[in-house]
Amino acid sequence: MTCEELRDSYELYSLGLLDGEEKREIDAHLERNCAVCQKRLKDALGINALLLSQAPEVVPPSRLRRRVLASVGLERAGWGWLAAAAAACAVVVALWLSLEKRTTDRELADVRRALQQSVAERGRLEQAFTFLNQPETRQVNFGQGQPAPPRGNFFLNPRLGVLLIASNLPALPAGRAYEMWVIPKGGMPVPAGLFQSGPQGTAIHILPGVVDPNVTVAVTVEPESGSRAPTSGILFSAGF
Amino acid sequence: MLARLIPVSLALALLQAALRFKDDGDLARRLQARDGGAMPELYDRYGRLVYSLILRIVRNSAAAEDLVQETFLRVWNRMPAFDQKRGALGPWVLTVARNRAIDYIRSVDGKMSAGALELDRLEHPGPFCDFEDRALSLDRARRLKDAFEKLTPNQKMVVEMAYYEGLSQTEMAERMQQPLGTVKTWVRSALKVLREQLSEAAAL
Repeated sequence: MTCEELRDSYELYSLGLLDGEEKREIDAHLERNCAVCQKRLKDALGINALLLSQAPEVVPPSRLRRRVLASVGLERAGWGWLAAAAAACAVVVALWLSLEKRTTDRELADVRRALQQSVAERGRLEQAFTFLNQPETRQVNFGQGQPAPPRGNFFLNPRLGVLLIASNLPALPAGRAYEMWVIPKGGMPVPAGLFQSGPQGTAIHILPGVVDPNVTVAVTVEPESGSRAPTSGILFSAGF
Repeated sequence: MLARLIPVSLALALLQAALRFKDDGDLARRLQARDGGAMPELYDRYGRLVYSLILRIVRNSAAAEDLVQETFLRVWNRMPAFDQKRGALGPWVLTVARNRAIDYIRSVDGKMSAGALELDRLEHPGPFCDFEDRALSLDRARRLKDAFEKLTPNQKMVVEMAYYEGLSQTEMAERMQQPLGTVKTWVRSALKVLREQLSEAAAL
């Protein structure tokens, strides 16, 4: 067949709708690089594109763009938004866990601190019992008969030291602490340790170690860093 | 039927946006170089057109989405064979889209395969080169639309069955219960009218 006889067949050929002799003829013309047929095929492709581009416009869903780009490896699959949401959730969960952990850590620290206080308190009580159980321990009380004074007892054991058990201690302002003093006869007060009262105004304080059995023990209020010598009047004292 | 389906202003606006040959060369070069921004640009340029065409053919949005993905993947994979200096991306992408959709509806109808290999062969980017800048101009699109509207109802119907349904002339004859010769006459005369209108435009 001549190129002219094939003139009306290129559109159908390029759409894949031509068969039989006409298709074979066009294939043959194109195979031998027939310029006329190549030009007509190109024109047919142009007409096809113009017709195909006139389909009624429909806006594709936005997820389709993600799918297409994901299919060529340029974007996470269509569930990218879900991954992003999951990542955001993970961050929130991590923050929550972090806060939870911080809270737990804080509670744990509080418990540990309370336990340490309990252990220390128990240690002091055991020491106190030891003091009280020793036959050579002597006791002097203070504050008896006062309207609202601190009350309590000093216990002195020449081998073990001095034990103070007090109650009704006034709450101290911030930065202040109670300081115990041991005052030898005719001597200057010697610092015997700092302590704070408990919530009920109670305190147990121990000066461990060998101590002169003939001393006066006193308590003053001092800066919480302690003083080398009393800077305030004696709050209570007892002589042995 | 086709005339009823074409909202002219929208279609022409799409054409204007989509068929920009001068820019396609650079886009094709970047696609071949696997430039990360090229594929999003290709989709942004032709995605709506491709989706509209495929949906028009398959009339099923889920299938259309699958086929759009397949179309762009196919274009991406076949880019190395594309002539970046002379090739026309728009016509090629549309042809791939149309053929994927036609292949789909034929397979759904249980006709798969006679034409599958042929459609695959016709998607080769080779023939889509050396298009003149004006080949798919807005003016030609307008002229084609005008020419189409002048066709007889039977001519319009056979053109639509060829482009949007992928029916051969024998299948059209069966569908329309008309002699094959008659259908062939309608098809050829319709395409001749369209071709001549565009030729006249080119000669002006």
